[in-house]
Amino acid sequence: MKDIIITAQRQKRELKIFSACFLLAFLLNVISIILFDTQWIELISHIGYVTVLAFFIYFFILFIRLLILGIGKLIFKKRK
Amino acid sequence: MKQQEGSTDLSLRRFIKNLGHITGGAALLATTPWLQSFTTEKLDEIKRDRTRVAMIGTGSRGLYHIHNMKNIKHAEIVALCDDYEPNLQAAKDLCPGAKTYRDYRKLLEDPNIDAVVISTPLNWHAPMVLDSLAAGKHTFCEKSMALTMEECKAIYDAYLKTDKVLYFGMQRLFDEKYVKALQMVHQGVIGDIVGMRCHWFRNHDWRRPVPKASLERKINWRLYWESSAGLMTELATHQLEVSNWALKRIPESVMGMGDIVHWKDGREVYDSVSLTYRYKNGVKTTYESLIANKFNGMGEQILGNKGTMELAKGEYYFEEPKPAAGILQLLEKAKSSVFEKIPVAGPSWVPEIAKEYKPHYVIEGKIDVNHGLSMIGVDNDGSEDLLSAFCQSAITGEQPKNIVEECYCSTILCLMGNKAMEEQRKIDFPEEYKIPYLNF
Repeated sequence: MKDIIITAQRQKRELKIFSACFLLAFLLNVISIILFDTQWIELISHIGYVTVLAFFIYFFILFIRLLILGIGKLIFKKRK
Repeated sequence: MKQQEGSTDLSLRRFIKNLGHITGGAALLATTPWLQSFTTEKLDEIKRDRTRVAMIGTGSRGLYHIHNMKNIKHAEIVALCDDYEPNLQAAKDLCPGAKTYRDYRKLLEDPNIDAVVISTPLNWHAPMVLDSLAAGKHTFCEKSMALTMEECKAIYDAYLKTDKVLYFGMQRLFDEKYVKALQMVHQGVIGDIVGMRCHWFRNHDWRRPVPKASLERKINWRLYWESSAGLMTELATHQLEVSNWALKRIPESVMGMGDIVHWKDGREVYDSVSLTYRYKNGVKTTYESLIANKFNGMGEQILGNKGTMELAKGEYYFEEPKPAAGILQLLEKAKSSVFEKIPVAGPSWVPEIAKEYKPHYVIEGKIDVNHGLSMIGVDNDGSEDLLSAFCQSAITGEQPKNIVEECYCSTILCLMGNKAMEEQRKIDFPEEYKIPYLNF
């Protein structure tokens, strides 16, 4: 059994990616309020939805990143 | 006024507490000025006093008031009066300690009576109210105000001169769901009022059993013009009062039709009426009442351009439901664009179906809804609170605003309605019966 070590640098990077996802979700909320002419209070009242959306985007990006990483490793193995 | 050891009336206290706005609630007081007299502080001030009350008229409604009165800690029934022995005996059984009278004039001479509650046929309202005020008694009289416009005006004039408290049985003024609902209406929750619909349906002949033929007109007084103004003063008066309260105006004219459609049993008053009251700003109250079908029950709908308030049920509906939050709309749109199928065949139109309106509630939790079927009264419809408020006023001597005026206006409107139906023409509010309170 091998210990998985998540370095501080990686943690920082993941936090930065999640923050970017949250910012994106928040911006989507702002855009939708303007687009559908709803109330600005939704910036606070619907923060839960925004957080869930941020997680969804983060995991979607994670999936893409893992896919790229997997394909990259496969190509690297073949070359070896 | 008698001094007593004890607590104040719980019902009125609960009513005031439930409203929750009374102290410092300027918005509420602006729309319900009669409640200004009933703060919890004022209730505490009178907790050692008790009004000595006489009940004039001990028929079904009189007995209903006696039952309510027995729950009111700041009141004591000291005298009873009725000229029909079985009714007087029924009341005596409930209040064995009270003195009994057959002539109300004799009762009014009793100096140990502070206040009277009148629950008699309509034709007796005016003479009894006028005599009672003249005798220096605080007076509560059942609705409607009187049988004729002249009598209403005479009572109103006496009210202006008296230093005694005068109440009429307009219990919706003390019904929590009506007070809250109309406050919401005035705050613009349903937008601008564009119309009002009131109805009261029962399936009952309105008759009471008569032991001998000579008592027919005495017992079934509601059925004859000499003692009653029919469906209008018995039922419509409450609902027209609510319409005026909602719009803060008085209708300037009325048209209508009335007939005896089903109960052709020798009665004189209509058993089916349909009227339209028109306000100066064009808003109309349509009023319908009949007593040979009860399917629709009783209701008052205030129609606004943004929603509808169903007062009797304590519910309201919005014309257009509140839109979903922007983020949800965006996600829904994204989902639709990805997953929604594009039809290649079949109907290319969306069938127009009736919208389902979702009710919202004026008061959360279980409330008492009056379906209008009872001939006597229902629990928690404001009657007990109104009576309790009257007894408090009899102690403090403080006349609450608007109660007499509201009853005056709605009674005049009922009598105008009857005139319109009788003469088959539009009737305008008579100049000679306009009072300064009115806002046309």
